[in-house]
Amino acid sequence: MELKQIDEFLWEIPRTGGMRVPGRIYASKRIIDDIRDDPCLEQVANVAHLPGIAGYSLAMPDIHWGYGFPIGGVAATDAEEGVISPGGVGYDINCGVRLLRSNLTYSAIAKRAEALADALFAAIPAGVGSEGAIPALDTTEMRRLARDGADWALRQGYATRADLDHTEENGRLAMADPDAISAEAYARGRRQLGTLGSGNHFLELGRVDQIFLPAEAERLGLGLDTVTVIIHSGSRGLGHQTCDDYLRTIGKAMERYAIKLPDRQLACAPILSPEGQAYLGAMAAAANFAWCNRQMMTHLTRRAFMETLGISERALGMTLVYDVCHNIAKFEDHIVAGRRRRLCVHRKGATRAFAAGHPALPDAVRAIGQPVLIPGDMGRYSYVLIGAAGAMRETFGSTCHGAGRVMSRARAKKEARGRDLIAELRAAGVTIRYQGRATLAEEMPAAYKDVADVVAVMEGAGVSRRVARLKPFAVIKG
Amino acid sequence: MPRNAATREFEHTGDVGIEVVAATREELFAEAIAALGRIMYDADRVEDRERRKLTVFAATDADLMHDALARALNVFLIDAFVWRDANVIAASGGIEAELIGELFDRSRHQLHEELKAVTYHRLAVERTPAGWRAVVIFDA
Repeated sequence: MELKQIDEFLWEIPRTGGMRVPGRIYASKRIIDDIRDDPCLEQVANVAHLPGIAGYSLAMPDIHWGYGFPIGGVAATDAEEGVISPGGVGYDINCGVRLLRSNLTYSAIAKRAEALADALFAAIPAGVGSEGAIPALDTTEMRRLARDGADWALRQGYATRADLDHTEENGRLAMADPDAISAEAYARGRRQLGTLGSGNHFLELGRVDQIFLPAEAERLGLGLDTVTVIIHSGSRGLGHQTCDDYLRTIGKAMERYAIKLPDRQLACAPILSPEGQAYLGAMAAAANFAWCNRQMMTHLTRRAFMETLGISERALGMTLVYDVCHNIAKFEDHIVAGRRRRLCVHRKGATRAFAAGHPALPDAVRAIGQPVLIPGDMGRYSYVLIGAAGAMRETFGSTCHGAGRVMSRARAKKEARGRDLIAELRAAGVTIRYQGRATLAEEMPAAYKDVADVVAVMEGAGVSRRVARLKPFAVIKG
Repeated sequence: MPRNAATREFEHTGDVGIEVVAATREELFAEAIAALGRIMYDADRVEDRERRKLTVFAATDADLMHDALARALNVFLIDAFVWRDANVIAASGGIEAELIGELFDRSRHQLHEELKAVTYHRLAVERTPAGWRAVVIFDA
């Protein structure tokens, strides 16, 4: 694959064959050297074949091999003449991250870290087939939830108004169509509300250990040693089944629209077609489920902290800093080649990163830019960023979403053989609770890039800026 | 009857890929369905107490493989049925699969990997000089 270096942090795949635009990858020399022979670069080029794609097929520095789109991929298609691709959103629709901050300091509660880990592990179902955080919902209630998103959680007493104000889209995409979700998808999701799931999903207790932008950190309620909680999860089985349902129907419809693509997983339909509109309604409904899921876990987390530490809600002061999606398609306005255009921005393992002053941002953060939450691996650190002006100019308001894998799951399991990962994490100051030993091995720190390298690329490119670094002290894994 | 088929897991950065080879088309589908179960749980501990039937139709063998595995996945995820093996016979325009197993019992069955979907990425079913071959990547 031919790669042309544009500047220190940007590389281009020139337009060839059926590519409608060039591909562009944000990466350091070291990151690009690591992926030069990886299928993910071919996937960036494949995405460039999508009808109506604007500007470039983009990839962030946490890029790795996905299916269809690379993980870390961003593609913006024209809202009227372009396509929507379920594969560009991914199976885990509205997989995302939320960050909670508290009035607690780590030094004050360090001795209770084990007890907190136990309480959270008991309160929040995790692991393969996890379910039962709350009683299973009937179909009528599931449909209301899919329609109303986090508003449903607010009505049920599981959220505060401030939680919704600090959630992307206020936790609800209004175009949700509960009728567009299949019976199988509802069946897979009805017992899974408030559950973490398995794989790379986690709940992490941490403390702020570095501050890069003091005024912005203060605005977000993050002081040195502040205790934080990161929740990483998505739409669980409901989202996966929804993606699968629409890959099938849209895949069949492509012939009718004379669309040919190099990978079936990129299946797409015109945004304004019946199939495209049905998928968007279903995607939004699944996204609403995901917001409710993370909100339910927020509720369970607050309760576990209060019960374990014997403190009031006011003393805990656990508020939502922000909740971001990193698998989603959104309709947004961006300037392309000097012209304002309405675009459908697909982010597959990428995070929205609007700069200060953007009207879509809530009042509380509009002056500083959108908070962006970038989890690292469970042994090192995670970052809080804010969107910067470069994101609006170059990346359709997008940045990275995590560290990005460097090892396959199979290789990670091999590397973990004979090692005591729990002791290694303990030595790094992290206590862990997990359901599956295989998941623990697959998710070991060495399986991921150093997230510091990833966020440094985005900062160097002027796309997002580092606000604070969070060091984990307890991790709950599936 | 012993099956003349084998499955190999291959490396995929974030997910799980399998390559299945078999002497016949029916054995290929049966082995792929059985492999799906083995990846998700310890299939050796599953007893032969109940049968579940799946009838799947599709325009191509690749679609048939996708849809058969997706249907089987939901038998586990929605109905909580686990299988130790599968039999497959060809039907006009599709296949009939019989899953041999029982309802999942957390006290006896050990879960391994959570597979969430069957992808179309690099999905292939083809005839080879030695028989049949399929490639499937699961979202994990």
